[in-house]
Amino acid sequence: MEVKYTLQGLLIYLAMAAYVAAFVRRLVGREKSGQLLYTFGFAVCCAAFAYRWYSVRHVPMQNLFEVFLSMGLLIYPVSSFCERVLRVGGRCADMLIGTIVLFPAGFVFSAEPQRLPPALQSWLFAPHVAVYVLSYIFMAKATFQASCQLAGKPPCPDGKVLPAEEATYRMIRAGFPLLTLGLVLGSVWGKLAWGDYWGWDPKELWSLASWLVYVGYFHFRYMFGKRHPRINSTWAVAGMAAIVITLLWVNLSRLFSGLHSYAA
Amino acid sequence: MNKFRRAVLWCALVLIILLIVLSIYGAFAGAERAKGFFNSLPLGLYWSALTVMLIAGIGVFRRLVREPALLLIHGGCVLILTGSMWGSAAGHELRKKLLGIEKIPGGKMAIFEGQSDNHVKAEGERGMKELPFHIKLKDFRIEYYKPEYLDIESRQGQHWQVPVEIGGEFSLGADVGTVIITKAFENFKITFEDDKSAAYDDPEPGYNPALEVQIRGPDGGVTTDYVFERYPGHVHPEDKFLLSYHRTVRDYISELAVIKDDKVVLEKNIEVNHPLHFGGYHFYQHSYDEQGRQYTVLEVVSDSGLIWVYAGYLMLCIAVFWHLWLREFAAGRARVRSE
Repeated sequence: MEVKYTLQGLLIYLAMAAYVAAFVRRLVGREKSGQLLYTFGFAVCCAAFAYRWYSVRHVPMQNLFEVFLSMGLLIYPVSSFCERVLRVGGRCADMLIGTIVLFPAGFVFSAEPQRLPPALQSWLFAPHVAVYVLSYIFMAKATFQASCQLAGKPPCPDGKVLPAEEATYRMIRAGFPLLTLGLVLGSVWGKLAWGDYWGWDPKELWSLASWLVYVGYFHFRYMFGKRHPRINSTWAVAGMAAIVITLLWVNLSRLFSGLHSYAA
Repeated sequence: MNKFRRAVLWCALVLIILLIVLSIYGAFAGAERAKGFFNSLPLGLYWSALTVMLIAGIGVFRRLVREPALLLIHGGCVLILTGSMWGSAAGHELRKKLLGIEKIPGGKMAIFEGQSDNHVKAEGERGMKELPFHIKLKDFRIEYYKPEYLDIESRQGQHWQVPVEIGGEFSLGADVGTVIITKAFENFKITFEDDKSAAYDDPEPGYNPALEVQIRGPDGGVTTDYVFERYPGHVHPEDKFLLSYHRTVRDYISELAVIKDDKVVLEKNIEVNHPLHFGGYHFYQHSYDEQGRQYTVLEVVSDSGLIWVYAGYLMLCIAVFWHLWLREFAAGRARVRSE
């Protein structure tokens, strides 16, 4: 556990506190103040991200600290977009997801600024990481909906938002193109930097495995539709498990040393 | 859905699940073993089966033809698989046997500064292969981030980071003194004449970066130290400070020229993320002579099948966004408007 006694750390802790407070207010039915706190947390996250960008002088998505900070920032716009456009609820859970993804940035990973190594000095760096981060948020929301479905508890009983199984499908539909784009951009970048568009590196193979889980989900759902909602949801949860391994285990474990080790 | 179509879908699902399991196995095996495993004959059969299944799917399911986005997704995957099989070592071998086309799938070449070469040490093969043109290395250099820093640590555990500015004076505090970096060397050498030593920068080939550092104590006493980038932890028992000099690499650059029929046909500085493409090969900055910086090592990769793979990527990306986003979000916007 690493407490950050810096302005960067202070901003992250403030955003976390705002997200937690927003979650609690929503839980007790104070929707308006909850929403205000959520918006405030997002604004603080923006400030933390901008400050980091200014400090390191490149798009702050180089290491896990910066990736988790980005996730904390993106959860709010994704949450609003899903509720307004896609009719997928779970805003309350998003506040909690925001806190959870900011926790490693605040307390686990080092915020020591790093210069970009030659391999990361590419126009593909920011889009590759950004689309992955965005897709992970959609998939995290899909997992929440799928978990509600598996637990038999609808996340929001009102008629404005979709039931859990359909919401899971819609979230995966939103996240999968981004996941595909991330994989393809990574492959093109690998070709430019290392000479191979596919290097059989552990990170590449885990990201392929996560992509394939969602491919399997689409095929299974095409075959059976909503007849086996629990199996549909299990695919979604399995996809998220593969993503967590791709994002964390591969970078942090010595078991999977490879070309992506600098991202830790 | 009739039984035949359902059977095809089940086969597809089994192949997908099998690839998930194989990918996880490959991740645990490590990149080198995974590369060998996924390029082995049984896996070659698997890739072929997957390609056939995708094509069969397009033939069996009319929806895949009726909906252009779905056709592009599955067609894109076929192109990616075909292109990667065509560009693999086995694909190169097969073309050599069937069509008589000989191309080096991949390898390494080392070239000294000022010299040209066309010999490639092909991967997994003994001996050297020859390219139909020569590559000349005009210059190899490494660029570093500025400013560079000198790290100073006292025996009491205090730490300072001093920017490397020749002649600049940096205070370590009133009770510790000041530090001045007086000289920087790229190839540090030392001579002894009349029992006196003198440091100098040797213009001959070699690489030994170092700094000459003067530390002035609060009592006015001056000590001169040399800090070597390649030999960290170089310290005498009487030294009050542990000095270390480390530079962060910004880029590795090889200035290359392609020579064909005794004429320079192309010149390019290659660096990480910026390879050279010529004559059906890509040339990448791979490594270099760490001792003297006199030669560079290039990775040579055949571009066979690459255009197919990239075309497949493009089709796949356009189609997934088209199929999963455009229709969904258009419907979503309509819902928002109607509300």
